[in-house]
Amino acid sequence: MKITLRLVLLIAVIAAGVWLWTVLFPGPEKIIRQRLAQVADSASFSPGENPLLTAARAERLGDFFSTNVEVRLDVPGHGQQVFSGRDEIVQTAAAVRSVIPGGLKVGLTDVTVAVAADQQSATADVTVKTQAAGEKDFNAQEVKFTLQKIAGDWLITRVETVRSLS
Amino acid sequence: MIGRNPKATLLRVVIWAVACLVVFRLLLLPVRVDGISMLPTYRDHSVNLVNRLAYLWHEPRRGDIVAIRFSHFETNGLGGLEQVASRLEPPHVMLLKRIVGLPGETVAFLDGRVVINGEPLDEPYEDAQKFPCDWNRAPVTLGPGEYLVVGDNRSMPQEDHTFGECERNRIVGKALL
Repeated sequence: MKITLRLVLLIAVIAAGVWLWTVLFPGPEKIIRQRLAQVADSASFSPGENPLLTAARAERLGDFFSTNVEVRLDVPGHGQQVFSGRDEIVQTAAAVRSVIPGGLKVGLTDVTVAVAADQQSATADVTVKTQAAGEKDFNAQEVKFTLQKIAGDWLITRVETVRSLS
Repeated sequence: MIGRNPKATLLRVVIWAVACLVVFRLLLLPVRVDGISMLPTYRDHSVNLVNRLAYLWHEPRRGDIVAIRFSHFETNGLGGLEQVASRLEPPHVMLLKRIVGLPGETVAFLDGRVVINGEPLDEPYEDAQKFPCDWNRAPVTLGPGEYLVVGDNRSMPQEDHTFGECERNRIVGKALL
């Protein structure tokens, strides 16, 4: 009995150690997933948001992108749009907040991250869900993010929409 | 309520919980239909189940209503266990569409009718009176492992309806109900 108990305790300690290791030293995939979740959080906004907070959140959103980021969106019913550079992203984020005063909820699901062998670049295929306040249904769009490790940070260098059905 | 033997009851509860978890997370995925593209077969906000084992023994067939993984699924860069885990993890957002074209076939829309290899397709599930269709689409020859999927509600504008070619590995399973 004592041996069994010790074995169980040993396994529990090893499991806790492995878990702690992954929390303290997350791999690139986990970091990228966390960053993408933060992007979605920063892109979401609620109605009646303080203008100062709006500006701060839009600015924060820009921090996730590289200075030369390129965003190519081709959403059915909205045509093709291209944004270049971090500043344009921040401006667009602020503009979207004024166009949709009721608020917008952005969520990312079904995230698949592929990190390159050199651990310096990665791609993430994501389903982006958006739901404007008051709307019953959400919109879903497949999006591909390209990220690069720049000065120790994983920054988004390219965003493009993908057609799920060709 | 607990019964004469609480240990046995607890065991039964655990077994049922595990069984439900396995069935409704891995085998039969509960889904809620959002949108009108599958009218009249499926109403907006109706509930269904997706059978993930439907295509274990045979490939998808014409007329099947299938759930399609929305986002691209790449497991090449993952290790063995991670790959298995990724494959088991059900997608959260899927498209529900009907298969009209099979691999190798040439599919077109001509004045609202699906044309397969030059022959009009008989679609008894389509209600031309309530849901008239005037779509036209140039013939497309499907590659190996490619299916043409479309919703049943073709009275909506063609550009607003998500349809087209779908890779086999995106098909998650078949709608059960």
